[in-house]
Amino acid sequence: MPDPLIIARGLTHAYGDRRAVAGVNLDVAPGERVAIAGPNGAGKSTLLRMMATLLRPGAGTLQVLGEELPAGARRARLGIGYLAHNPLVYLDLSPRQNLDLYADLCGVPNAARRIDDLLERMGLLARAEDPVRVLSRGMTQRLALARMLLHAPRLLLLDEPHAGLDAAGTALLDAELEATAFDGRAAVIVTHEVERIGAVADRLVVMRAGRVVLDEPVGGRSPAEVRARYEGAIA
Amino acid sequence: MSAPANRPRWTRQLRGLIRKDLRLELRTRETVVAMVLFAVVTLTIMQFGFGTRDDDLTRFTGGLMWVTLAFTAVLGVGRSYVAEREQGVLDGLLVSPVPRVLLLAAKAITIFIYLVIVEIVVIPLVGIFFVKGPYWDAIGWIALVALIANVCIALAGTLFSGLALFTRARDLILPVLFLPALVPVVIAGAGATHAVAGGAYDMSEYRGYTLFLVGYAILFLLVCVATYDAVFDD
Amino acid sequence: MPSLTTETAAPTGVLGARAALLWGVIATVLVTVATIGALLIAPEDADQGVIQRIFYFHVALALVSLVAFAVACVAGITFLRARTERWDDVGEAAVRLGLLFSVLVIITGSIWAKASWGTWWVWADPRLVTYLIVVLIYAAYFVLRSSVDDDRRMRFSAIYAIAGFASVPLSFYSVRVAESFVHPVVFTSSGANMPGSMLVWFIISFVAMLALFIALLEVELIGRRTERALRRVAIAMENA
Repeated sequence: MPDPLIIARGLTHAYGDRRAVAGVNLDVAPGERVAIAGPNGAGKSTLLRMMATLLRPGAGTLQVLGEELPAGARRARLGIGYLAHNPLVYLDLSPRQNLDLYADLCGVPNAARRIDDLLERMGLLARAEDPVRVLSRGMTQRLALARMLLHAPRLLLLDEPHAGLDAAGTALLDAELEATAFDGRAAVIVTHEVERIGAVADRLVVMRAGRVVLDEPVGGRSPAEVRARYEGAIA
Repeated sequence: MSAPANRPRWTRQLRGLIRKDLRLELRTRETVVAMVLFAVVTLTIMQFGFGTRDDDLTRFTGGLMWVTLAFTAVLGVGRSYVAEREQGVLDGLLVSPVPRVLLLAAKAITIFIYLVIVEIVVIPLVGIFFVKGPYWDAIGWIALVALIANVCIALAGTLFSGLALFTRARDLILPVLFLPALVPVVIAGAGATHAVAGGAYDMSEYRGYTLFLVGYAILFLLVCVATYDAVFDD
Repeated sequence: MPSLTTETAAPTGVLGARAALLWGVIATVLVTVATIGALLIAPEDADQGVIQRIFYFHVALALVSLVAFAVACVAGITFLRARTERWDDVGEAAVRLGLLFSVLVIITGSIWAKASWGTWWVWADPRLVTYLIVVLIYAAYFVLRSSVDDDRRMRFSAIYAIAGFASVPLSFYSVRVAESFVHPVVFTSSGANMPGSMLVWFIISFVAMLALFIALLEVELIGRRTERALRRVAIAMENA
């Protein structure tokens, strides 16, 4: 049984006195796609940011890709791909220049070739030298997708990834999520689109007020069923 | 899917960060040009502020130059993280496996380069505006002091701009944090410049001030390396 | 639920009241002794007369404020390692007191300058000039604290306390080096040969001010511990 890519025990994070995440236990195994849903303020994004090593665990333990956080954060980052609302690209640089930077930061071998491949896959090759500022939102988010995949991470952490993606981008992302089920990678997706969950994830985790209130498989269930399970959990 | 990334070499990471900042500056031309203009305007204002044009301001050479450079540096350092701030790109750097200390090094090197560009304009200009008497044969010594002082300014500036990045009135907070720490640099820079400009040539004085600046740079390097991780790890 | 007593108790008793009381008594005694000694018993300076007596306090305050900033620096380093709130309390209280003492240094120094030179300020006194810079450095500490969000406040205060403490000797030396070139005679109140009887009272004043600092620090820490304990109770009641 291969080691889980994420192991969280009693994970807590507080902003001042308010506990955004309060004692979460969660395992994510290779090949799993886990969706995290919940009402606003449930702590989903905070939990994801802790997994992405952007926030220190307040209390409890968190192990990502075999590294205990926060001590092993730098090694863990080699295998983490993060996608959020902000595309995390410099607006005044071109797509190619942005990917150049991330390739250098992540030590991507054969960078020039890999960047070309990704730009082509994302349909950005024609605009590769234009400043990101002049690209459409959909194209920018596709660039963000390229940025996330550039260093071939084993763990994908996504916060509302479908927001801001155009049709082409959505297809690319869904194809990537399909593939993670088979190549030993894993994905954690924070989402509001409860109906979509059955299509992109095998497991549904529902959070409310910083705690996990539901954690069960949903692969293949109909959108209506998933919605029903979700509503039941947050009631 | 190609092979996963190896452990990145820090030389490559540092080169990538500096290249990114220089590329940004070349595209937007926001910072360096403004710094040079600001420095020239400041020198001009000081010229008028100190009396008629015929007054001999030679003995104020060091002070005028270094006060100008200090304020210009605050301006430039304040622009350090502007792209990361306004476009929210900082998370991208933080989620990558780059050690925080390299973020410091890259920003400090960039500021150093900008300061050199400003000094290429300011040092001759100060000679033309204010010095009656020998100046140009001392330019090598003045440039040396400037280079060492730039290291001090770059290190302290990057540390404080890292802190200011996360504050509310950040454009006001940076000078409040940074300028008191710059006072020793201004004192030593002005003193060293004054020791060699205008024909004085007191080399023991010059040495004293210059060695002090080296000490400043080493001390702040230690502080930065010890604390820079904590600036960013939430 | 975190235990209120273990998390807020000082090493000596609940909320540190006993420590504060002890140091308060020591400080009162020492300060009284020092004041009487400095003003009445110590030999009068031949050149400067009565006003020289203020220098006992001026120098003692200066040294103790440096101790305070050193405490803040160490507290900052410890906080970054251990990440426990207690060290932020110590750091903030130490900077607050250090700043207070530094302002007193400037006031006493200014009084002395007025009496000796006729002006309220002399750029030729390196201590006066340096402490002006020091006040600016540590006033900025509080500006920084109030403009950062809760989650970063303690961390950034610790970093700044460390950087600020590095700036202090740098400020001292740069001013001193500059003064030595401009005014070759280094300017202090007491000459190189200080009679032993004067030295004794300098030392007593220093120890008195140090005790005062520790006493005030304990009092400040009690205040903060109480605040935190109350907050914990409030949260516990909310969550129950």
